[in-house]
Amino acid sequence: MKGLFVKKKAAHPEQDDAELLKVLKALPVFENLDRRELAAVLRILHEREYQPDEVVFREEEPGMGMYIIQKGRVMIRSEKGNLLLAELGDGAFFGEISLLDASPRSATVIAKEKSRIFGFFQPDLYGLIERNPTAGVKIVLGLSRLVCERLRQTNKRAYDFNEALQQMRQAPKQEKPA
Amino acid sequence: MITFRDPSTRKMLLLLTALVLIVLLCAIGGIAQMLIIALLLAYILDPLVIRMEARGISRTAAATIILLTMTALIVIGIITVVPALKAQMVGMSSGESSAKTDLALANLQEVVRTKMGWLGFGDIDLKVKLAEFKASFGKRIVDFIVSDFVGIVLALVTIPFLMFFLIKDALTLKKGLIRIVPNRYFEFSLDLIHKMDQQLGNYLRGQFIDAVSIGTLATIGLGALGVPYFFLLGPFSGLANLIPYVGPFAGGIPSMIIAVMENGDLSAGGNVALLFLGLKLADDLCIQPLSVSSSVHLHPALVLATCIIGGNLFGLIGMLLSVPVTGFIKVVITESVQTLKAYRFS
Repeated sequence: MKGLFVKKKAAHPEQDDAELLKVLKALPVFENLDRRELAAVLRILHEREYQPDEVVFREEEPGMGMYIIQKGRVMIRSEKGNLLLAELGDGAFFGEISLLDASPRSATVIAKEKSRIFGFFQPDLYGLIERNPTAGVKIVLGLSRLVCERLRQTNKRAYDFNEALQQMRQAPKQEKPA
Repeated sequence: MITFRDPSTRKMLLLLTALVLIVLLCAIGGIAQMLIIALLLAYILDPLVIRMEARGISRTAAATIILLTMTALIVIGIITVVPALKAQMVGMSSGESSAKTDLALANLQEVVRTKMGWLGFGDIDLKVKLAEFKASFGKRIVDFIVSDFVGIVLALVTIPFLMFFLIKDALTLKKGLIRIVPNRYFEFSLDLIHKMDQQLGNYLRGQFIDAVSIGTLATIGLGALGVPYFFLLGPFSGLANLIPYVGPFAGGIPSMIIAVMENGDLSAGGNVALLFLGLKLADDLCIQPLSVSSSVHLHPALVLATCIIGGNLFGLIGMLLSVPVTGFIKVVITESVQTLKAYRFS
């Protein structure tokens, strides 16, 4: 009950902030922000603490934004095939595409161990764009670069698959005369 | 299925209970009114604060600028408007009427005596009745102001300060509110707050611009037509316009009656009716389409019921605030249900 209304004070808040700023600066989304802009981002982040096996979000639920793991480990699972897609640890991030289009979540994320995760959400990003357009544009550009990179990788993968498919189609034809 | 054994659900229920208790406690005292007005003002002025922030002014500085501007406006208002308002209220509470009014009343009384005598109105003295009505109505306003003088002064000081802190700490308050929400309902709450913020922001700002525009135009129009007490009737019309359906009538009819009574001429009432018709057209064709981008549709019966409840609980202010507050509650319920459907709480 006490924890509901009394804000838990960090043992070393300044050290915590400095650590988090370091984590943020390392992320491609925030890499172009200066210290002041990063501090503005820090002010709108939502700190959450997850216990082992606690769900962060579920597949198909509306996506509101991205999460940054400061400390801990999470599992990314596909509920459809009950597949473990990935495991992410300290300094990693997930759900960033929801910052742009608020699409439904493509997987379920569950904390594997006690994790300290920061949420950065679309409404807060919109607010930041209005209040601090320079920082907002830098973040959106960072996100765009990230999406471009993913698109390039996906294109390359699609090209490779296509090549493999062509080879598979041609293989029986070459084998026939033999 | 949501079960009460689930710690997250219990925490959420506890939070909801606490919120309901706070709302109930606030509703008992007059602080609820001040808090609601301060909240509405903070909400309405938020885009202005954001624009200032975009120009490099800190949120605290922006809130301070707004507080100082509001204080200056209140002081200017007290110095300039209050004496005129006082003279008009004293005139109203004295119950005196002009010679033209007396003549009009005499004519009307003659009609009543000859045509409606069989209804038992033959001996009615309309002049005395009007003087009594005006005196009691004016006295009620004066009594309200005198008896609640401390309350008015307290509100004039408290509301701008409450508004200042609500603007300055808006982000912190929002974050603090979301912080106590359990992890499972965290994104849902954020989504809900964002949707409500969008809908309500547009609605309240639109209503505010609409009320100020109509109030200003009505004051200018009534002043130009020479209707007495226009300083009271104009702003009242603007505020009454907040109430859908009945608002324009509530604002227009008292002005028409006063114009007829003071001029002793029905055409004066016709001019006022034309003015309010023009205002209604301007409101429907120009002001509302420009200002009220998002409307919260409320059933006429619901509007009437909330006005009666608001009026009974908090008087005139309660009546005027009842529609925006009902709009707020409707948005909260509608958005909660819609957002809840998208999440899979188990």
